[in-house]
Amino acid sequence: MASKPALQLSTTVNGSDHAPSHPSLTRAATLPNDIYSPRAARSHLAPEDAFNTASPPRRQSGFDSSCANDSGPESRPRRMRAKLGSRSRSRRRKRSWKKLLWVKQSYPDNYTDQATFLENLQRNPRLQPYEFWPLVADSTVILQQVCSVTIFIVCFVGIFQERVSPVAVVGWGSFATFVGWLLWDWWVGQEDEDEVLRRRRSNRSRAAREPTRRERPHSVMLGTATPSATSSVTNLAASERAYPQLAMRQSHSASATSLQSGASQASNAARNSSDSVEDLNQRTLSPLRGGRTNLRLGTIKSAILIYFTLLGLSPILKSLTRSTSSDSIWAMSFWLLAINIFFYDYSGGVGVKFPASLSTNAALMASTVLASRLPSTGQVFSLTLFSIEVFGLFPVFRRYARHRSWRYHVALSVLLVIGAGGGVGLILGGDRDNVWPWKSGLLGVLVAIVIAIVAMGGCSWWLIGLQKYKNAINGPWDQARPIIISRRLWDDE
Amino acid sequence: MPRRTYNIAMVCDFFFPQPGGVESHIYQLASKLIDRGHKVIVITHAYEDRKGIRYLTNGIKVFHVPFAIIYRSATFPTVFSFFPLFRNIIIRERIEIVHGHASFSSLCQEAILHARTMGLRTVYTDHSLFGFADAASILNNKLLKFTLSDVDHVICVSHTCKENTVLRAALDPLMVSVIPNAVVSENFKPLPRPEPNSSIFNQHPLPAHPLGPNDTLTIVVISRLFYNKGTDLLTAAIPRILENHPNTRFIIAGSGPKAIDLEQMIEQNVLQDKVEMLGPVRHENVRDVMVRGHIYLHPSLTEAFGTVIVEAASCGLYVVCTAVGGIPEVLPSHMTVFAQPEENDLVAATGRAIAALRANKVRTEKFHEQVKAMYSWTNVAKRTERVYRGISGDLTNNEFYGYDVGNEGHWSATRGRNFALIDRLKRYYGCGVWAGKLFCLCVVIDYLIFVFLEWFWPRDQIDFARDWPRKRPPESDDEE
Repeated sequence: MASKPALQLSTTVNGSDHAPSHPSLTRAATLPNDIYSPRAARSHLAPEDAFNTASPPRRQSGFDSSCANDSGPESRPRRMRAKLGSRSRSRRRKRSWKKLLWVKQSYPDNYTDQATFLENLQRNPRLQPYEFWPLVADSTVILQQVCSVTIFIVCFVGIFQERVSPVAVVGWGSFATFVGWLLWDWWVGQEDEDEVLRRRRSNRSRAAREPTRRERPHSVMLGTATPSATSSVTNLAASERAYPQLAMRQSHSASATSLQSGASQASNAARNSSDSVEDLNQRTLSPLRGGRTNLRLGTIKSAILIYFTLLGLSPILKSLTRSTSSDSIWAMSFWLLAINIFFYDYSGGVGVKFPASLSTNAALMASTVLASRLPSTGQVFSLTLFSIEVFGLFPVFRRYARHRSWRYHVALSVLLVIGAGGGVGLILGGDRDNVWPWKSGLLGVLVAIVIAIVAMGGCSWWLIGLQKYKNAINGPWDQARPIIISRRLWDDE
Repeated sequence: MPRRTYNIAMVCDFFFPQPGGVESHIYQLASKLIDRGHKVIVITHAYEDRKGIRYLTNGIKVFHVPFAIIYRSATFPTVFSFFPLFRNIIIRERIEIVHGHASFSSLCQEAILHARTMGLRTVYTDHSLFGFADAASILNNKLLKFTLSDVDHVICVSHTCKENTVLRAALDPLMVSVIPNAVVSENFKPLPRPEPNSSIFNQHPLPAHPLGPNDTLTIVVISRLFYNKGTDLLTAAIPRILENHPNTRFIIAGSGPKAIDLEQMIEQNVLQDKVEMLGPVRHENVRDVMVRGHIYLHPSLTEAFGTVIVEAASCGLYVVCTAVGGIPEVLPSHMTVFAQPEENDLVAATGRAIAALRANKVRTEKFHEQVKAMYSWTNVAKRTERVYRGISGDLTNNEFYGYDVGNEGHWSATRGRNFALIDRLKRYYGCGVWAGKLFCLCVVIDYLIFVFLEWFWPRDQIDFARDWPRKRPPESDDEE
C-alpha cells in the first residue's frame, strides 16, 4: 500500500481508533498516527461535515472524544502521558511552548504543539448548502435558453429543408415579438408609475427618514435601465434607440445627459454612487411619463431601421460563406451556439447590465453563418431577423417575465419546452408526406418534457450530491480580504 | 568528538544579483554556515551576463547554470534536462546535502528530485504562503507535493508557514522545522542618540526620538505597492489618519501598480505636503529611509514572515501592522500594534501607536538591542545545522524527532527516508489517483537517466574540485 504520508487534515491529532496500539506521547506530542484508520483515510469531508459548519470538523473527527472535552491546552498532553505510560516522563518539565518566533524556546525547531497546531484551520467557512426545489426552480432559466436555441435550430432546419415557409417563421416570430414588446412596454409603464408614486411618498418623508435613500436606488435602476438594456441587445440598434432618450433628456438638463449616456450603456450605472443615481432619476423620471410615446416611436423607428438594414444586407449574407464547405459551417455554428448557452447571463437581473455580449454575439454569428447556407435572399433575411428576435429581444422579455411574476416564468418555460420538443419531433419525424405528422410532434413533446424534468431534477440532485466533496480550507495563511469602508470616488472608474 | 561538517548545495532560482528576501536569506545562511566550517555552494540560473562560476564573499561558490527564464526569473520547468549538469556539479563538489529554497523555483524542485535519485539528503525551505482555492495555488501545491513526497526535511520561516506547508504537501509535522528569517542588525541601526551627559534632563535612558506634543511624527511605509501588500488599505487609511492627527507625516517608499491610486489619493485630498512618495528604494538605503520616521506601518494582506517589520523594529521604529499570516509571531507585543485588515481598525491602531509615542510610553531606543538578541543569522545557521545533522543521521532519530518515536511504525518509513527506488515510488504513488502515477513515471524516468549517466560519464572520471580553504568550526557550541 502506499506509504506516502498522506496527512489528512483530521489526523494531525491522535484519534481514538488507534489509541490502544499507540506508543507513548513524546515531548513533540503530535504524531499523526492514525493515517491508516479507515475513518480518517478519506481525503474529503463527510456529508455531515459539509452541513455542520458551525463547529470545526477537525475536532469532531480527530480527537479522542474524551480529550475533546477537556479544553485546556495543558491538560491534554498531561492526560495522554498519564494514560500512556511512564516512558516519556523522564523528560524534564518545560515551560509551555508558545507560537512565537522571537522567543528562545527550549523546544526543538520541529516541535509541533498538539494543542495549537492548525487550530485556526477553518473548513468550508462560507458554505451555503443548496436545497432541491430552489435549485430546480433556478435551473429553468437554463432550460429556457436551451429551448430557445433548439427552436431556432428547428426553424433553420425547417427553412433549409424547405418544409417551412420562411415568411411564416418570421411572420409568427415578429408577431410574437410585437406582442411581447407590448406586454413589456405595459409592464415597464406600470413599474414606472409605481416608481413615481413611491417617489412622491418618499419625497415627503425624505427629510425624516434619511436611511431610505440607501435602499431605493436599486429598484430605481431597474426601471430606468431596462430601455437601455433592450437597446443594447442588438448592436445595430443600440445607438439609434439611445438617442431619442438622450434628446428628450437633453432638453431637461445637460448634466443629466452625460450621466444618462453612461447609464444607457449600462456599464457604469450600477457602480455609480447611489446619490448620483438618485439625482439622475429625479431628473429623468418625471419627463419619462410624458415621453413614453416618444420612446415607443423611437423603438418602432429603430425596428424599421433594422428591418431594412437586414433586407439590404441579405444578398451579401447569402453568398458570405459560399467558398466554405457545409461541414465547417455546421461545426462552427454548433460551437457558437454552445458558446451562447455556456456564456449566457443566467443571473437574471433585470437590466442590470448588458445581457452577456459574448453570448449574444456568438448566437448572432451562428445565425449569420447558418443563414449563408440558405439559397434565397428571402430565406436569409427571415432567418437573420428571426435570430435577432430569438437571441436579442427574447431574453429581455424572459428576464422581465421572470422578474414580474413567477407564474409567467413557469408558463413560458412550459411553452418553450413544448415548442422545442414538438419542433424537434416534427423535424425528426421524417420527410415523408404522411397525413398525420402531429404524431411525431406529440411524441417529441412528450420526450422533451420527460427529458426536461429528468435533467433538471437529476442535475440538481447531482449538484447537491457533489456538495459533500466540497472542502475549502481556510486559515491564517490566506490572503486577507481588506475591508475598506469609505470607497472613495477615485476607486470608481 | 569533533563536529562533522557537511558539503551543502543551496539550489534556488532566485539569487544575487537579483535583490530580494529569498536571495539575501540564501546568501546570509550560506555565509554563516561557512563560518561554522561547512562547505556551501549555491546553484542558480544564469543572470544575463553572469554565467559560469563566481565566488562571493566568504568563499561562497555560485554556479550560474544556463537555463531559460520564463516568469519573474523562474526557469522553465523541464524536469529532467538539469540532471546531467546537476550530477556533474554534485560529484565534482562532493555534495552531501542539497538544500532547495522557494516553491516558485522549478530549479529547486528539480534539484530535490535528482538529489534523491542520486542518494543525497535533501532539505527544502519554504518562504511563502499559498491558499488552496485558486487555480495557480492548486497547481503549485500539487507540484510541491510531488517534490516534498520524498524530501528529508522541510524548513519554514514561521509557524503559520509550517501549518500551510504541512497541509499543502501532506507532510509529517515533525519533519518540518520552523527557523525564522533574521536581519543583519548592524545594517539596521537607529540614528545615534545624543550623549546622555549633554542633555539637561538627566533622563535615563534618553528616548531615541523624544517627541514633544507639537513635534511632527513621521510614519514610514516601505513596501512594493501591490494589492497583496495592502496598498488599498493604505490608500483608504492615510487621509483619515492625517485628519485625526494633524501633526503627522507619511513617507512612502516603493513602487508598483497601486502607486497611481496613492497619488490620486494625495491629489484628491491635497496632501502633497504631508505625504512624501519616494519611489523605489534600494535595499541598502532602506535603513536611511526608516530612521526618518517614528512609526512603521505595514498594511500587508499576506506575509509568511515579514522581514521588513523586523528591520523596522531594529531601526527603532514602533511597528503598526496587520495581523495576517506569520506576522503576529514575529515581534513581541511591546514593539507592535496589531490591526485587523480593515480600514477602521488600521486607523484606530495607528492612532493608538501615535498616542503611545506622543506619551513617550514606548522605549523605541531599546528595540535595536532587543531585536539583535532575537534574530541573528548565526542562530539561524546553528539551527539549520541541527537539521542537517538530523537528516544525516548524526543525531539519533530519537533526539531529532522526539523520544520513543522509533517504536512506532507509521512515520518511520518517511523518517528513515531510505533511497530504495521502490520505497520512493510508494511515497510518490500516494500523491493522487492520476498524479501519483504520473509522478511515479517521472521518478522512474529520472532513475533511468541516472543509470544512463552513470554509464555514460562514469563517476571515477569526474574530477573533484579543490575546496576553498575551510574555516575551523567553532569549538564550543553553546548547546541550544
